[in-house]
Amino acid sequence: MRRVARRYILVKIVCDRKFTNEQFHDALYDAVTRFFGELGVTRIDPRIVKFDMESSTAIVSCERSATPEFESALTLITGDAEVSMTLLVLRVSGTIKGATKGRK
Amino acid sequence: MADLLSTAHYGTVGLTVATGLLNERIRSMRRIFEDHGVGTVLRADFKPSSRTELLRLLRRFRNLYDVVAVRCVSQQVATVSCRDGRVDVVFFDVANRNLRFSHTFARLLRGAVEFNLVSDLAGQGDVWAFSRIRKAIMVAREHHANVVLSSGARNHEMVRSPFQISALAMMLGLTREESLRGVSSAPLAIVTENRVKRSPEYVEEGVKIVVPSRR
Repeated sequence: MRRVARRYILVKIVCDRKFTNEQFHDALYDAVTRFFGELGVTRIDPRIVKFDMESSTAIVSCERSATPEFESALTLITGDAEVSMTLLVLRVSGTIKGATKGRK
Repeated sequence: MADLLSTAHYGTVGLTVATGLLNERIRSMRRIFEDHGVGTVLRADFKPSSRTELLRLLRRFRNLYDVVAVRCVSQQVATVSCRDGRVDVVFFDVANRNLRFSHTFARLLRGAVEFNLVSDLAGQGDVWAFSRIRKAIMVAREHHANVVLSSGARNHEMVRSPFQISALAMMLGLTREESLRGVSSAPLAIVTENRVKRSPEYVEEGVKIVVPSRR
């Protein structure tokens, strides 16, 4: 079977308090499910590749053809009642190494 | 907020200021952004309740700002704003169900129509807001209207990178080229044109004072 091409996105997480990998995971999947539905989640196939709490950055990935959808879902994330969260897309790349280059 | 805009790779941002704000305060605000490597453009947002109020505001403040935007709150104000060449950008309140960017306004439009995508859509979960913006974008595309895309950020939580705004606009019906133009070249063209108009050499469209070089 042919390998599915993916896009790796470096995001900066702007949040007023500390948060865990689970909270980030929940926010990400909630946003994609809310805006594109469960079928959309399977098509976009979002994944968290790396999560760095110290630098508040993460590398997330999605299927290549669904990059605009995933980016727009990331745009609309505002967190929940407990934690307000903003995700800034810093770099989009075809490899994890390429996405990591933009990390500050 | 300035450091966040710098992180999001913004070169220039529109700084909406109140018309009564002191020049010294404006200068200090601009300095903060420029220290972070983000250029600023002065913008005034008018929210007139009638045609006469709009015309009075334009007469008084047009020459003081790089960009003049009008929030259309009534049919009368929207008609005059779209028709008046002094108005650079018009935008509609997405919560106002009685007034939307229709074919009538698109035909009259001389400036650009703006969509504040993040402030109107993020975190609200309002399906009708998506629908209204999508329809307005369709109308703008049909009439080849100049579209400006913005986050409409009033605080750091609403800041998004230009590519994110472009991606969101693509989901709402614009093509990739149109959405990128909406966040980059379309607003830049408005600012460049207005800076030319505000320069002392400018007389009117197509006419400017040319000082011959001394030998």
